Amino acid sequence: MRWLRPGKGALVLPPLVFVGVLLLLPVAFISLYSVGLRTNIPGMPTAFSLSNWSDFLTGGGGAFRGRFVYSMEIALVVSVLTTIAAYPLAYFLAFVARRGRYALLLVLLAPFFTSYLLRVIAWQIILNNNGVVNSLLWTLHLRPHGSAISWLIYSNFSVALVLFYTWIPFVSLPIFVVLENMDHRLQEAAADLGASRAATFWRVTLPLSLPGVIAGFVFVLIPTTGEFITPLLVGGPNNQLFGNSIQAFFGDTPNWNYGSVLAIALIVVVIVLTLVFGRFLQTDLRAEARPGQ
Amino acid sequence: MRLTTRLGAAGLAVYFWAFVVFLFAPLVVLLIFSVNKSPTPTLPLSGFTTKWFHEAFGNGTLTGALVRSIGIALVAAVIATALGIMASLGLLVLRGRAAALALTVLLLPLVVPYICLAVGLLILVQEVGARPSLAAVVLGHSVIVLPFAILVIMPRLRSLDPSMNEAAQDLGASPLAALRLITLPLLAPALVSSAIICFVTSFDEFAIASFLAPSGQPTYPVFLYASARTPALLPEVIAIGALIIAGSLLLVVLAEGGRRWAERRLVGQTAAAPAEAQEAKDDQSSGEFAMVNG
Repeated sequence: MRWLRPGKGALVLPPLVFVGVLLLLPVAFISLYSVGLRTNIPGMPTAFSLSNWSDFLTGGGGAFRGRFVYSMEIALVVSVLTTIAAYPLAYFLAFVARRGRYALLLVLLAPFFTSYLLRVIAWQIILNNNGVVNSLLWTLHLRPHGSAISWLIYSNFSVALVLFYTWIPFVSLPIFVVLENMDHRLQEAAADLGASRAATFWRVTLPLSLPGVIAGFVFVLIPTTGEFITPLLVGGPNNQLFGNSIQAFFGDTPNWNYGSVLAIALIVVVIVLTLVFGRFLQTDLRAEARPGQ
Repeated sequence: MRLTTRLGAAGLAVYFWAFVVFLFAPLVVLLIFSVNKSPTPTLPLSGFTTKWFHEAFGNGTLTGALVRSIGIALVAAVIATALGIMASLGLLVLRGRAAALALTVLLLPLVVPYICLAVGLLILVQEVGARPSLAAVVLGHSVIVLPFAILVIMPRLRSLDPSMNEAAQDLGASPLAALRLITLPLLAPALVSSAIICFVTSFDEFAIASFLAPSGQPTYPVFLYASARTPALLPEVIAIGALIIAGSLLLVVLAEGGRRWAERRLVGQTAAAPAEAQEAKDDQSSGEFAMVNG
């Protein structure tokens, strides 16, 4: 192990050990719990068993499989909508607001730096049954007093809306970086060769910006997959996500063994997503996304 | 040819500002209801009051939770930034596979869902025979913010001219002295950014704190979550929330402004590059900063 020799390179060891003990070790323990080698249930024998896994994957754990599929659907829908809605924001910053675009970018990102929990609570105040939207409609006599719009909160709509709201500033960022670093001569060349504005966009700008688009998409997809706070505050019993199932097994109705199965399943999904899309994330983190890559 | 017609540009501008309104609306709602007389946040508004602020600051559970979260966030920010410096210095030297592997492990906390890490840490605490504690929350937070520290510090470190450090050592400074006198001061803007990002993230973190904070000692987000479901406490939560939102918006503006100012100064002092190149560099680094930050 040549790189372990004393020298500056060894400085990376303390942080690595830190992550090893506080991240890899906990994940290793979750794995042990998921196959019954450890347990928190008094009197339960500890022996290797895949019964919880088979229950979740093919057996009686259909409710959790359903929750898993529902979570993936919500995560996908939110990621797609957020990415589509973020593109024009990034495009505006990169190509229209040439001057002061960094200041405007900061305006767009600023809400992202305020407390996530507070923003969800704010949405709860806006959407709930005597909240801002409903009471505004009553005050304006657009709806009979006391009659609330039923789908406004504790619904798919409220969960998706709040997730969309949370992530849109973040998604516009990688798209902006790619558009910003784009070689503008390619767009000029397209125009010189007779392409219309629309053709230039669809055949040059958009394809070249795909790495940023995919990065933005994954930036939402991965955290949304493990989301559990938003459904707690603005979701109803039918809108709880997979993260809420995990939380329940380690909280009110403790069964760490079953909960560990769900946690490992979630980690596997997220790692697969990261491996599949990692190429784009890396390109993007280095801000090296250039045409032709 | 311009990429957009005049009409297209106007349309995009309208779209952009509509989104800015959408993004800030919930924050404005909190600000409005923090000074509204009625204890239930509903329309029509019922008159101006500052009593919720008085009640909030008189609520020992709330202020205790705030102080706890500030303390945790400070310690986590210092730990993560210190580890971030070490990791960045180490990664600067490492090459090839070892560097790629080390970076992958160090950035893993970005990928593992917080809820999974939270239950994993709960198991770990139990397995080592400890009990949930604020120290455990600090350690959990330090791990999840470490990638932010690295992603802020590493690009800045890579952009420094290594010959300055070499010159210091040629002139007789020990490696440690060169680090302290040359490298760290040049890194200062990135270190401040890192500490701020780590602080803000830890201060707001709910999943890990909800599993690891002892039941009598909630952190601020844990308290916030509990009281969001208690109507009687809601006005106080909104009042403190409004203050925190105003404070964090101010912090974002100050941090970004301060960072640009400091980097411009440092660039001016250390490099005699033509003005254009400097500007290009400024632009690029703020792009990176924003990237990492978001």
